[in-house]
Amino acid sequence: MAFDLFDPITWPTRRDEEWKYSDLARHLRITPRELEVSTDIAAPALTLEGFHVHNVFGADYSGLEAAVAASNGKLWLRHWARGRLDCVAGFQNKGRIDLKAGEHLTLFETYEGKGNYAVHSELELTLAEGARLERVVVMDEPETATSVRQSTIDTAPNAQYVQTVVSTGAAFQRFESHVAHAGHGAEVRMDGAYLLKNKTHFDYTTRLDHQHINGVTTQTIKGLVKDQAQVVFQGRILVQKGADGTDARMRHQALILNDGARVRAKPELEIYADDVQCAHGNTIGNLDENALFFCMSRGMDEATARGLLMQAFIVPVIEAIDDDHLRAAVLEFVEAKAGGFYGV
Amino acid sequence: MLNIENLTVSVDDKTILKGLTLDVPTGEVHAIMGPNGAGKSTLGYTLAGRSNYEVTAGSATLNGEDLLDKDVHERAAAGLYLSFQYPLEIPGVPALTFIRTALNAQRKLRGEDEMSAPEFLKTTREVAKSLKIDMDMLKRPLNVGFSGGEKKRMEVLQMALLKPKFLILDETDSGLDIDALKVVSEGVNALRAPDRGMLVITHYQRLLDHITPDRIHILVDGRIVHSGGPELAHELEANGYDQYLGEAA
Repeated sequence: MAFDLFDPITWPTRRDEEWKYSDLARHLRITPRELEVSTDIAAPALTLEGFHVHNVFGADYSGLEAAVAASNGKLWLRHWARGRLDCVAGFQNKGRIDLKAGEHLTLFETYEGKGNYAVHSELELTLAEGARLERVVVMDEPETATSVRQSTIDTAPNAQYVQTVVSTGAAFQRFESHVAHAGHGAEVRMDGAYLLKNKTHFDYTTRLDHQHINGVTTQTIKGLVKDQAQVVFQGRILVQKGADGTDARMRHQALILNDGARVRAKPELEIYADDVQCAHGNTIGNLDENALFFCMSRGMDEATARGLLMQAFIVPVIEAIDDDHLRAAVLEFVEAKAGGFYGV
Repeated sequence: MLNIENLTVSVDDKTILKGLTLDVPTGEVHAIMGPNGAGKSTLGYTLAGRSNYEVTAGSATLNGEDLLDKDVHERAAAGLYLSFQYPLEIPGVPALTFIRTALNAQRKLRGEDEMSAPEFLKTTREVAKSLKIDMDMLKRPLNVGFSGGEKKRMEVLQMALLKPKFLILDETDSGLDIDALKVVSEGVNALRAPDRGMLVITHYQRLLDHITPDRIHILVDGRIVHSGGPELAHELEANGYDQYLGEAA
């Protein structure tokens, strides 16, 4: 998983199975320039109360531990990257959050920026026994951005890890999560929603490793793609030998709104245990014509009906967010973004 | 009110309605009965403007306005309401949002002011109460996880709020138990008015015991083959459609 943004030889290419549909080397071509991080930050795209705000400029995670301690269980990590017009500004770094036994944290991550930039950030998250982490990610990056966000999540028995990623894409954007599932009552949910248009690229890669008995995993990913946008969803659930009683379900549904848009989905279940329940479902299609007719027969014009149905398609993912304030804020964000999809 | 003249309709190059003529005067409730495959639902879908229902001949007007050259939503705004045999589930859209969006879309098309949220809520609360619909149910996504009876009550609620001039009820009795049938029928009967017409499409006489029609038409093989008073329903229940099948041929 590791690569160095500033060393082209290490960049993954399509020859790497994991990066087959998101060829970073081909996209980047020229090494980004490692520049001093600008702290000149714009106002956030959404408003949210009750969260402790900590800015992450570029990929600079310094002060993260103190921020978690000061957050009172609700932390907003505002990732901000200010790029350049004359070159691609590069940022790369790692951060780490450790939750102690029984500790709860709601982590809201926003990824925003301006101009030409390339960021490679890595987060290491560990959950001790019975800890709970709800992670809500909003990737609202400019169409000029290159953004690779990787994270590893280490769970323990009875821990709960919940991840909801919302993306509007970028020139090249990848959100990657590797979860070591501890089983023994631990629960993992990794959802996602994407709304992509123009020439954007979003890659959502999730890797789940069930190593022990009685682990539960659910995944619901839904998205809309139009124009020449491209989406890659790679979801792998690995159930290791002896990880009996595992219950893992993955669902990915995409709506392609015009011919030029593209979705590549690669769901994988790799099962070495005997007594497990695993399922995956993957659908890619158009809006349901019956539902469209139903709405229109009640008086909605086609654009209104399509808008309503597209929003309705995505919204259930957002509604699963547990934190009330966060759910409302993300819902508002998605409704505003879905507006751009009405006119299809 | 509703005047259908020689209506001929194909679906996927197969002719389903073969010159259907029907008049429902203002203030009357007519029923269409017929065996499976006669074209009953096709009639409803065609009048509502479903895209793959191709009208190859004939006309249909509502209060003198041509329905067939209007788009689906324009027909709704002109006062036509088709109640679906199987109302669709719309995940992610609360029933209240759905109905208010539809209502205001219709009003906008007719050049009327939008209904404000408080006014809409007040009206909805009153109608919902009469249909024994809990307001909490209206905050849930439309029809998702609703029982057959609940879905049909939602249909009646929408009729009552959208106030259409003409109602087409497509097999409204399907999926209803006796109690639900009673509630739904009462709701529909409450909407009978001197300035409103209705067309009740059904298989069985059961629904017509609750919603008594002024006239009954028998549809066989794409045409009305016989018309009569409400007593026709019981006659059909006793003798079946067999006697009419020959007439269609």
